[in-house]
Amino acid sequence: MAADAVDRKKIVGAALAAPTFLFLLVFFLIPTGLLFVYSFWLAKSFALIPALSLDNYTRALSSWGFYALTLSGLKNGFWTAAFSVVLSFPAAYYIVYRTRGNLLFYIILVSWFSSYLVRIYAWRVILGSNGLINTTLIQLGLISQPLEILLFSPFATILTLVHIMLPFTLLLLVSSLRDVKAEYIEAAKDLGASQFEVFRKVILPMSYKGLVGAFMFTFVLAAGDYVTPQFLGGRDGMTTGIMISNQFRSSGNWPFGAAMAFLLLATFLVVYFLFVQLLNLLKLAPGRRFHD
Amino acid sequence: MTDVKDLLPFGTANILNNDVLSRRSFMGSALALGAGAALGSFTGFSPAKAAVGGDLKIMAWEGFTLENELKAWREKNGVQVDAAIISTQDDVHSKFIGGGAVRLDLAEYSQGFERFYVDELKIVKPIDIAKVPNFTPENIQPQFYQAPTWYFEGEYHAIPWVWGLNALVYNPKMTKPIKSYKDLLAPEMKGKLTFCDDTIATWPMIARLAGFGPKFPNLTKDEMKTAFEGLGPYRDQCRVFASSNGDTISLFASGEIAACFSVWSGTPVETAKRGVETVYAVPEEGAVMWCDAWFMPKTSVNTDTAHAFMNQAISPEVQAAVCKAVTGGSVNKHAPALMDADTKALFNYADLPEVFRKSPLQGQPPRTSDKYATYDEWTQAWADFKSSF
Repeated sequence: MAADAVDRKKIVGAALAAPTFLFLLVFFLIPTGLLFVYSFWLAKSFALIPALSLDNYTRALSSWGFYALTLSGLKNGFWTAAFSVVLSFPAAYYIVYRTRGNLLFYIILVSWFSSYLVRIYAWRVILGSNGLINTTLIQLGLISQPLEILLFSPFATILTLVHIMLPFTLLLLVSSLRDVKAEYIEAAKDLGASQFEVFRKVILPMSYKGLVGAFMFTFVLAAGDYVTPQFLGGRDGMTTGIMISNQFRSSGNWPFGAAMAFLLLATFLVVYFLFVQLLNLLKLAPGRRFHD
Repeated sequence: MTDVKDLLPFGTANILNNDVLSRRSFMGSALALGAGAALGSFTGFSPAKAAVGGDLKIMAWEGFTLENELKAWREKNGVQVDAAIISTQDDVHSKFIGGGAVRLDLAEYSQGFERFYVDELKIVKPIDIAKVPNFTPENIQPQFYQAPTWYFEGEYHAIPWVWGLNALVYNPKMTKPIKSYKDLLAPEMKGKLTFCDDTIATWPMIARLAGFGPKFPNLTKDEMKTAFEGLGPYRDQCRVFASSNGDTISLFASGEIAACFSVWSGTPVETAKRGVETVYAVPEEGAVMWCDAWFMPKTSVNTDTAHAFMNQAISPEVQAAVCKAVTGGSVNKHAPALMDADTKALFNYADLPEVFRKSPLQGQPPRTSDKYATYDEWTQAWADFKSSF
């Protein structure tokens, strides 16, 4: 009887989860598989030529432009993820351990309610030559000419991406910090740990998954983004995304575009591996105990 | 479906599907013209009413959907138009590739895409010219009538309807008058120039500055490389590249740029709406002509209405109205007489051969070629140029 109940629960659970799995299978895994196959094909003027060729990969890997644009995207991703996590962590800590309500949390999340493009254009207005910052500084007599570094620069790109990504990282970090119960922290303190030791040996390792998730989630989204860099990054703001987009839209060379997309995916996986290894090296990974 | 062996054109098997295209709904509004009177006003032709009507799915550039200009005609004939908007020409052919060709009764292509669409993608249905009676030598300017950009091998593949110039646009309050492209290299223009990511407007001018103008779009790879190398100093004058015509307008409006290398000549009208005066100039090096043409994709279903729509689009009254709205030029000889003075003064209709001599209608680089730089290679060179490689 008890076994029947367990089976029934499993069946109900599977049935509830099935639509999501099916959706991802049909609209993500299968198309991704097809795209992977395409990456070994060739193309001629929007026509696919079935083949088993590494030409697209060697073409991308022999292109200086591909490396430069990928590096540009990775820099955007790294700095956006780093600033977003560093800025989110104290806010998440404050929300979880120092406040009773979620008002601050909701205030930060409310920026999600504005459109991505609107936020990009808003930053253009704020950072522009005739924008809020330059105009204010000129009126205060602090500068005589608009600061050109504010707009059409990596600074503008990363500032905007951090603004866009911050709620994501905050959400993930708040969620993970809520798993680090106040009792654990009190216990560590009772055992003589300083505030910093509590942070380094209890809070950070126990919120490890949230930290890695927040960093990588933000990193991948920011590194792959090509709209913000295009609008705010200036003439050097191009990233690999636009090269991939060109292949699918203008050149009609889907296989080459697919190959570059998979190379970018591989790069992201390497970054993920390195990040996890770094946390291991810093003894911040979970499931391992370190005794000084 | 294709006669090219061993190739699999994207979506060929589904090209006649009737998938519904996502679209922007039309909003009823003002300024309707007497379309019924205009219909066949120069030929006496009126298509059979029974054949015209129903829903018509079109794809056109923003402002080129004839939403206002054909309101009365739509109401009279019971035509409901669903319009999708083109951001770049790639948006059009992407509807027919990738395994899911959608139904479109009419769409636009810019000059230079005709062979690609007709011969390679095979997405164009020939036009029954008898159903477009306004399209006659008596009505249409000779430079546009039977031009090889829409008429070849005895078939009409598209109907040209609005043209204009992609020219240099600048803000006269931020720079002195620009008479030559070389003026853009002046030290005071540092950081105030932009290029619009509109290859139809930009590539021919890049070739022209390098002395290869008449050869465009058929430049060898070395010539193309030389042309882009010569563009380096212009790039150094830029802080940003505009991603579209709209972005160019936005950059002018916010005072971030003083000039755009080669862009839609209607830009000054749009910046004026945002309180910024700009002017378009045809420097001594000339400008680049564009011309949009309606074509019927093979997925067209309501073909009688599509023909009637094109016929209306090139009628004098509609031409005069739409040219005013989009700051364009008319293909109809009789339209300038109906234009207001400003619209008529945009182009020298009295001497169109001179306009064509200075700003010829040029196509796009070949999609495949062993001799010339291909479209793909131009795209790559353009991306490299923007990235300063």
